[in-house]
Amino acid sequence: MNRIRRLLTASIAIAAVGIVSPAFAQSKGKIFYMVPTLLDEFQTESVAAITKFMGDVGYEVVTLNADNKTDLQQSQMNDTILQKPAAIVLAAVDFNALAPSIEKARAAGIPVMIFDRQITSTPSDLTSVAGTIEIGQVAAGEIQRLLKEKNGAVKGKILQVLGDPADPYTLDIQKGFEDKMKEFPDAQIITLPAMQWEASNAGTIVSDQMVANPDIDLIFLHAAHLSVAAVAALEAKGKKPGDVMMISSNGAPVGLDLIRKGWLNVEVEQPLYAQAAALAMFADKVVNKQEIKPGNYSVLGLDSVLTTESWGPNIKIPGAAITKENVDEPRFWGNLKAPADKIMPVE
Amino acid sequence: MKSSRQRAIAEFVLDHLVWFMLAVVLIAFSLFVPNFFQIGIFANIVEQSTFVGVMAIGLAIVIIAGHMDLSVESTAALAAMVTGILFCSRGIGLGLTLTPEWLVLPVSLLIALSVGAVIGFLNGVFTIKLGMNAFIVTLASYIWVRGLVVAISGGRSAQDLSPSLRVIGIEQLLFVPLIAWIAILCYVIFSFIMGRTPFGRHVTLIGGNAVAAFRAGIKVDRLMFIAFIIAGAVAGLAGWLLAIRTSGATANLGTGMLFNAFAAVVIGGVSLKGGVGKLPGVYAGVLLLSSIHTAINLMGLPAHYTQVILGLLVLAAVLLDTLKLQIRQRFA
Repeated sequence: MNRIRRLLTASIAIAAVGIVSPAFAQSKGKIFYMVPTLLDEFQTESVAAITKFMGDVGYEVVTLNADNKTDLQQSQMNDTILQKPAAIVLAAVDFNALAPSIEKARAAGIPVMIFDRQITSTPSDLTSVAGTIEIGQVAAGEIQRLLKEKNGAVKGKILQVLGDPADPYTLDIQKGFEDKMKEFPDAQIITLPAMQWEASNAGTIVSDQMVANPDIDLIFLHAAHLSVAAVAALEAKGKKPGDVMMISSNGAPVGLDLIRKGWLNVEVEQPLYAQAAALAMFADKVVNKQEIKPGNYSVLGLDSVLTTESWGPNIKIPGAAITKENVDEPRFWGNLKAPADKIMPVE
Repeated sequence: MKSSRQRAIAEFVLDHLVWFMLAVVLIAFSLFVPNFFQIGIFANIVEQSTFVGVMAIGLAIVIIAGHMDLSVESTAALAAMVTGILFCSRGIGLGLTLTPEWLVLPVSLLIALSVGAVIGFLNGVFTIKLGMNAFIVTLASYIWVRGLVVAISGGRSAQDLSPSLRVIGIEQLLFVPLIAWIAILCYVIFSFIMGRTPFGRHVTLIGGNAVAAFRAGIKVDRLMFIAFIIAGAVAGLAGWLLAIRTSGATANLGTGMLFNAFAAVVIGGVSLKGGVGKLPGVYAGVLLLSSIHTAINLMGLPAHYTQVILGLLVLAAVLLDTLKLQIRQRFA
């Protein structure tokens, strides 16, 4: 009897902790943001940015986290469609696997906006991207410059640390990077993945490779949080800032800090705030199914190009290379200074 | 009928089979994997074994006791995040400082151990006091504790750990970083506890036959409770070491380590049925896995092969375990 009582008490206590009752304000409607994971700072900040900017133009944002699971995100899409929101913002876990869910939502009359992770296999109502392949290309350009400065030509040994090899995001960056490096056969690239984007896995790779290939000139990591573990591994090998050149991508706060400390040479930024702001600027048009005109737009001061592609309107916002010279500029999301000015809808 | 000498040799080989496997693997990698045979790589293997190795100690103790603890990975992540938040100076770190500065080391360690012990205590309450299934209870902990890591960090990371702590990750003794020595020390201490103290012997007895142990006057529930708390606290230690190695903590730190810890425990000869297993074997299992990871890194093989090889290795270990029984019967 005592055991049953204790079990009941425990169950009630746990249930009480788990209950959350959000309070919703009145708005033009709800927009569901399907975030792929909350385990990295880009995604975490994207929730804050999309919530803020959509709020500026009158929408209330509900965020669903897919924990990097494609099947979970598909289920979330199904559940969301049943709730008939004003629109869905999707940052897909898997670019292609979510295509049927997008089609299902649009067939139900719910517009779908694609954030950050471009889906070209099926039409959507607006895509706002920096371009993962382009991030790889920008990184390649910076790496070519750094190698030339150090070795007099684009030659040397590069260690490329991917994220999880099952994540198309990292594979796209790899593609963009390696395509651009093909013309430089003297630049040898060693590529290894940090399983599950876990930082200590990146540290292990760097640690092993610095022993096996002590002549590595440059390390390119596909996310800033991986750089932290890489730096710790380098420190443990007695290296100092600048001994090995480093580049990483996404522009997270940790990356910017490492630039300030001299460990990272370049961080290739994904313009998170502008990408999120672009969605908010066009949200009314998307929700009301109005035409979105191609052309040049200024998004938070960044010159962006909106084109009509086979998958729908696509706004591409240029990513930037962050270096010691410009690291403190507030436009970089890694400085966590979200623009205070209200976003205005495009007329 | 075999001679007693033959039987003794066979018993020795069977009891230390994982060490022989490790030796064979190291020799093979040294011969065939470019750049493998060097002190730096062996030091890396020992260093990389630290986190999974320490985590596997607690897991092995609970499994030897006849239960299961799936929460060790998340517990380590929580301890790492708490350490990171308190003692990192950038990101979400609060940059807590103490005077004198070296106090950061024992205080942070105590906090990490306490965080782990609390999770272990909760697992114990639900499993032992409320009689719930350990698999389900610790699976729930695995989920909610990781959720807590995300919640307290807001998905952000802490970095730039206090130099008083980082020194353990940087300084070396005999080419091996101090964190790896801590793991080795843990194995020495817990091997002694499990092999030479009444606690260890009783826990093993409980895992073999809890009813018989109870009838023999052993306080089964009390010892089981302690085993869960130890598993939690040791996982907390693993998290503390992980934070030191990576100079901070991210919300996904330690992801995937549970599988490796389980693999090491099984490869190390611990029976999932309970009552059988020795911690030195588990350490050999961890070293074996780290050697394979390192070889794959050096060969530049796609990491997917690591998972395939690990899975096959676990299967081989279970097969060997079955074979061991048959060989033992032949020599009996």
